[in-house]
This record gives sequence, structure tokens and C-alpha cells, in this order.
Amino acid sequence: MTLNELIAKINGTLVVDKPDATISAAYTSDLLSDVMGHCGDESALITIQNHLNTIAVCTLVGVEVIVICHDRPVPDDMKAAAEREEVAIVTTPLSQFAASVALAELTPAAR
Amino acid sequence: MSPAAIVAAAKAAGMDGIALTDHQSAKNTPAIVECARRAGLACLFGAEVQTAEEVHTLALFDSLETARELTDWIYAALPRRKNDPETFGEQPVVTWDEEIIEMEEKILAASCAHDIPTVADFVHRRGGLYIAAHVDRPNFSVFGSLGEIPEPFGGGHYFDAVELSRTADEATWRDKISNYAVIRSSDAHHLSDVSRVWTEADGAFTIAGLKDIFNRRATRLSPRLTRF
Repeated sequence: MTLNELIAKINGTLVVDKPDATISAAYTSDLLSDVMGHCGDESALITIQNHLNTIAVCTLVGVEVIVICHDRPVPDDMKAAAEREEVAIVTTPLSQFAASVALAELTPAAR
Repeated sequence: MSPAAIVAAAKAAGMDGIALTDHQSAKNTPAIVECARRAGLACLFGAEVQTAEEVHTLALFDSLETARELTDWIYAALPRRKNDPETFGEQPVVTWDEEIIEMEEKILAASCAHDIPTVADFVHRRGGLYIAAHVDRPNFSVFGSLGEIPEPFGGGHYFDAVELSRTADEATWRDKISNYAVIRSSDAHHLSDVSRVWTEADGAFTIAGLKDIFNRRATRLSPRLTRF
């Protein structure tokens, strides 16, 4: 799935771009220790964890795009880190459940 | 941020005491204690423990031996993954005069496996103080992760006090934290953050002194910062 396809499915807003993002899997979690332990690469992370540390964890496990639910605001330091680390960020008005359902064609990310 | 520079900044700002609480580690405790001793500044120490609930909590002690024990106990409950300095930064352990003893390789940015009740028990058994950090923040706080301040079923408290961050409006939070003593502290990550906000009280800046102050709920917070 491309980033544009993902955005279309969740009524998303692009916050940080990654034009060559390859998204084949997804994981839904708000607990970063859980993301670190279970999320795999080439994935979309569906979360409300709008924090700088999310970028660091996503870099470790190979997340391509972070989907921030409920249109939570993305702090400037998180944006800057995402640009530096080349992780896309998309916000959506959907809940974590609704976003997961909308992206159900992706395979569950596993590690 | 070297220990001597932190102490100098706090002294220059007229602070009577400081507390060092690095994330998931108390290994820099001996350095800050020595710098504070030389400068005649009161100093408590411990760690900002990121619990299994992904909540930041402050464990405070006044014994170097207990600080060592705390570090070992947290480290045993961290993921086996090593720190990636490019992602999370270097984690130097230093002497009081700024010699680097080691670069910590544990991943201190991660949560440990101990939950809040377990950490509270560890801290209180050793006579320390346990404080819920920056409770007004949406991330890594009791309210952000758990929606409330957790309390034991049988009554009592896990936390001896709660901390408001430098930008929190005290009046907005008063109702939610009315069962607790409140402090405001700088959570300084850079030297320029030191002493920008503070907490005042009548009493000694020791563990026993703070316990008494917290029991009396006798703290007075500095004004908040309206911009960083």
C-alpha cells in the first residue's frame, strides 16, 4: 500500500511525508514498550501516542508511517524527528479501532 | 549537562536543594552528590522510573547504597535490547569532575517491567519518596496512561506527592490532585531549564523533611511558564 492509498482509506491528513513508503503490515497500540516488543517492519503504526519517543521506537522496529488517531496534534519536536528519521506521520479523525478496520487489508505486523 | 554545571546553575538561581532523577538510572548519583557537597547545596537523588504502565515516576532517596540498588533493580527489568545512541543519544556516566566512566549500554528510554505498585513498594520499604511525575502531560503520566492516579484497593497511596510540569496551570489541576501534596519542578533536560520553576516550603530538604512537608501539604509552587 502506498502512503496516498493509506491516507485515502482513513480520511487522513499528511503531516510528515515519506514518498517511497512501502506499507505491507500494520500494528495498533498506544504502549511504546508493546510496540517495541511486537511491531515489525514495513508497517503502519496506529496509535494515539503523539510523542517524540514514538519516532525513536518506530525507527528501531522499522515503522514506515505513524497514524495518529482522533486528530491528536503532532508536537513540533515529533515532526522534526520524523523528518530526520524518515518516518511518515498521518493524522486521522478516526479512532484506533476504526482506523484498523479501514486498513484491514494490511497484514498484522509481527515480530 | 555536567553535574558541576547543574549545581552551579541551581546555586546561582538561589535554590536550596536539587534532586537528580535520570531516566531509569541513578548511576550519576555519586557525581552530583559530590558536586553538591562541595557547593553546599542540598541534594536528593534517585531515578525517573518509567513503569510498565508507561508512566514516569520519581523515586527519591538520600542513600548512595539505595541508589545503587535502585539502578540494579531497574536494569534487571529493562528490555535486553541495547541503546542506539543515534536514536536516543549517548548515556554517559561521569565523575564529579566530568571524566566519563562509561557509556551506559542499557536502553534507558524503554519502560521497565515493574509496575507502579511494585515500584512504590520498593521505594517505601527503603524509606524513599515516590512522586508521580508531570501529571498534567498527556504522555507518560498517570492521567495520560491510566486516566487517574492509581491507588491501592485497601486504601492509602502509592504516591507521596504529584508533580506539575513547568507549564501546568495549578488551578486547572487542583480538583484532580486534591488528595496529594503537589510540587512543581523544572524537569531540566538542558542547563537553561534549571531553576526556571521551583517549589517552596518551610522545612528541611531531606527525605524526612519532605515527608513532613508532603504530609502537611505545605508546598507553594512557583508561577508556571507560559512559554518555553
